[in-house]
Amino acid sequence: MTYKRKDHLISILFLFPALLLLCVFIIYPTISTIKLSFHSWKGIYGMAQEFVGFSNFQKVLTSDTFWNAMLNSVYFMIGTFVILMPLSFSLALVVTSKLKFTGFMKTMYYLPVILGTTTVALMWRCILNPNTGILAGILNAMGLGDHVIDWLNTPTVNVWTTILINEWKFAGYNMLIFVAGITSIPDTTVEAAMIDGCNYWQRLRYIILPLSKNSFKVFAILGITGCLKVFDIIWAMTGGGPNDLSSTPGIMIYQFAYTYKKYGRSAAIAVILLILGVSLSAVCNRVFKQDDIY
Amino acid sequence: MSKKTKVGMGVTYILAFLWIVATTVPLLLAVLSSFKDNTEIYLRPWQLPQSWAPVNYIRAIVDVGALRSIGNTLLVAFLTAGGVLLVALLASYPMSRKNIRWVKSTYTLFVLAVMIPVHTTLIPISSLATILKAKDQYWYLILVYIAFNMAQSIFLISGSMNGISREIDDAAIIDGCGDFRLLFRILTPICKPILATEAIFAFVYAYGELIFSLTLISNSKLYTVSRAMLSFYGDGDMRLGPIFAFIVLSAIPSIIVYVLFHNQIQKGVMNGAIKG
Repeated sequence: MTYKRKDHLISILFLFPALLLLCVFIIYPTISTIKLSFHSWKGIYGMAQEFVGFSNFQKVLTSDTFWNAMLNSVYFMIGTFVILMPLSFSLALVVTSKLKFTGFMKTMYYLPVILGTTTVALMWRCILNPNTGILAGILNAMGLGDHVIDWLNTPTVNVWTTILINEWKFAGYNMLIFVAGITSIPDTTVEAAMIDGCNYWQRLRYIILPLSKNSFKVFAILGITGCLKVFDIIWAMTGGGPNDLSSTPGIMIYQFAYTYKKYGRSAAIAVILLILGVSLSAVCNRVFKQDDIY
Repeated sequence: MSKKTKVGMGVTYILAFLWIVATTVPLLLAVLSSFKDNTEIYLRPWQLPQSWAPVNYIRAIVDVGALRSIGNTLLVAFLTAGGVLLVALLASYPMSRKNIRWVKSTYTLFVLAVMIPVHTTLIPISSLATILKAKDQYWYLILVYIAFNMAQSIFLISGSMNGISREIDDAAIIDGCGDFRLLFRILTPICKPILATEAIFAFVYAYGELIFSLTLISNSKLYTVSRAMLSFYGDGDMRLGPIFAFIVLSAIPSIIVYVLFHNQIQKGVMNGAIKG
């Protein structure tokens, strides 16, 4: 079947809005940011950008704040693989099991995902407030008043508190990624294993885990890129403070541009994030390359 | 059923129940706290409030304009959802129906675009807004939201269109259908489930989005919910009750959407996960 001129015209017409938005809001800004990362600019329009070579990158890569922010991103990744992955996978096993009420469970587990990040963050900030918050009140009533600390202002503790809140919010989402993997395993495979006398743990180890490998890949890619980009939850919980100790690269991009007016520096961090994100996704794709199982 | 399986099921039920408690108790505490003052929140966190008078709600609505910011955000979220559907439907049609080489390569372009993090685009998007005098303009914010949500929708909608038999097209074309009518009268109704899912996702995204509303909106009358809540918390008044009231109010639209569409939302996440 050959396509006539009309088909080309229709294709151009129909693709036009999407391509326009793609160029204006994604491709052009990315190129512009890469260019900006080699320049110094204070964000004043009409003022020329001064070419500075790699000096923005050099300044970023030699600053303690940046490496501390990267460390916090690594903490988020550790949290993702050590806490979130087992938690979401267990929840996925629960809701795909033969228990009753699994539909209800699934609905309840997903509930925090639907709420906005800021809503969730502020709710927990109020609960965790050390002076008048609910948790402080509960601990005091239990006679554990000594354990009340300022969870969101103590360095390191505040990052991990935020990580736990983040896992609380996203457990339901990642559960569904694993559910998609588990339910794509044919029932007959699992039944065959049962007839062969496999117990639950053997089925989990030799059937369910290897056959849902693809959902682990999706989880890993989304998790790693998500941790690099984390902004909302930290911004709403700690604002990056105290003294930038809970900052992340995402927060630094925002602050360098809009607080310190060092746009070139901000762009350099954005470019580093872009490179890291793309290359880590590629690594994940390789590591989790789906082997032919049959 | 063997004794061992029964024990196993018992343990699983307990775990399942514990996570339900973990997800719901903080939300219930937030609702209870929204009717209390600081002392009551601190001293009687678990108890029902002494009075159900909505004083905190009145403060959140009158003093900070909670309802206005929720209304603003709903408007932005509805328009974003509609815009995403329109743009993605139009783009999906040639991708699924016209077997033209350059059209296929635009698909790859969208696949690559998904890998670009939002942060990389932040500064140029706000500079562009200044040039176009589009700061504090919802139309610009909405276009940005559409741009960052359309790729996923295009993948899933064109995927769903690929599943529709070409014989339907042929029949429609013989009956005199042009491309527009084929897309909007024939294919769109068949794709309804995936369209609903994508609309909900765009809605939820726009309702909770933070970083672009931080950089593009500075007039407090135009604040979206995330923005308004943050500045309310940050303005130094440490009365928690009104903040809880605002949180509860802001969650109501999300929860309504979720109660109505939870099946579609769950299916949508799983479809996205399989597609990778």
